[in-house]
Amino acid sequence: MTNMDCDQLIDYLNGTLSKNDTDQFEQHLTSCTECQEIVEATGQLPYLADPMEPPAGMKSRILSNVFEGTPEKNDSPVALKPEMAAIPIQKPKQKFHIGKPLIAAVLLASLLGNAYAFMQLSDQNQEPETAIQSIELEPSAAFSGTATAAMIEEQGALNLVVKADQLAELDASQVYQVWLIKDDKPIPAGAFSPNPNGEGASYYQLEESSAEWDTIAITLEPEAGNELPKGEVVLSSEI
Amino acid sequence: MEKSTDTYLYMRISEQDKAALEQLYDRYEKILFSFLYKMLEDRELAEEALQEVFIKIWRGKGIYDESKGKFTSWLFRMAQNTAIDLIRKRKKPSVPIEEAMQMASHDLPVDEQVEWKEKKGQIETAVQRLSSEQQKMIDLFYFKGHTHETIADMCDIPLGTVKSRIRLALKKLKTSLHGMQGRGAYDD
Repeated sequence: MTNMDCDQLIDYLNGTLSKNDTDQFEQHLTSCTECQEIVEATGQLPYLADPMEPPAGMKSRILSNVFEGTPEKNDSPVALKPEMAAIPIQKPKQKFHIGKPLIAAVLLASLLGNAYAFMQLSDQNQEPETAIQSIELEPSAAFSGTATAAMIEEQGALNLVVKADQLAELDASQVYQVWLIKDDKPIPAGAFSPNPNGEGASYYQLEESSAEWDTIAITLEPEAGNELPKGEVVLSSEI
Repeated sequence: MEKSTDTYLYMRISEQDKAALEQLYDRYEKILFSFLYKMLEDRELAEEALQEVFIKIWRGKGIYDESKGKFTSWLFRMAQNTAIDLIRKRKKPSVPIEEAMQMASHDLPVDEQVEWKEKKGQIETAVQRLSSEQQKMIDLFYFKGHTHETIADMCDIPLGTVKSRIRLALKKLKTSLHGMQGRGAYDD
């Protein structure tokens, strides 16, 4: 750590740093425990507020303003948790998210980081509760894409991150769907659409996963949100 | 698993999943609204600020990743910065500190507020351990959104001293909270 960087803490908390200085300070935060802990402590100050009942109708006003201008599309290519299956799935239209692979990659790195730290801790006392498995998926004949999956088991939950590239462009309604399979029974486990660079990624979390999955597969589905595969398998691997 | 579900929701939001944004909204509406009200002392302004926060999240103006610390710290800092922007734009005269501190509380159902009350108790205790001058620094800096220059003028102390006093106050706050919350404050 350098004192110069620590000096910027107050400006950082006050939001008066330029974008560049903010980025630089956030870099500093990753290596300076004291600044980091002060930021976290400051992050608890809002709890000093007295609970206030929000004005009537605030939620619908805010959400409609937030979503204003957002094209009707969505959500479904993103992994839905099983218990969220009741959420109505709207018809997906165009999907185009440059940020998605990046965020999945960051998240993957972060999960691996957590898992690693956790194992380090676990080593000192009991048996590890975290397991990481990295899987290269095999493309089917005539499919040019590649994909890697990471399965991270942590405290009974299974996190599945899939990152794929060299993907062919899809029609507007199509989606690449990830499946976890046990004894020929698949469950949907995340979905993605490629960005213009042919990259796609998904993140899926299964809480309380005890199943011993035997296969992971990616199909090209005619539409998002299918509970069972309808399309061809394009990538797969045994687990 | 609070942290990872927030991260998961955030991830879905970045993919323009409206249901995820609504879940995040429901989860943090009350604390954010109450916090923004504490800063802005005006219900309409607090609503405006809250809307701005969710617009920023939805449009990806602020990017969160776990290297930036806890999700709530990031979210609250964004809310605080948004309120500061509004304060500086409006130049609305603010209610004196003592009066604001004593504003009526509107109780919400206990079950919704257990965690909040627990944290509030801890942070109140930690704040009470600060000297009254340090408490004032935090209030002026954090809740009232005053710049160092203004604080230096108001309190008639040199600019450099303002920064070091705020830092010292926050550091002491951190140490107190750390003592009360143990490791749990940072490793959950």
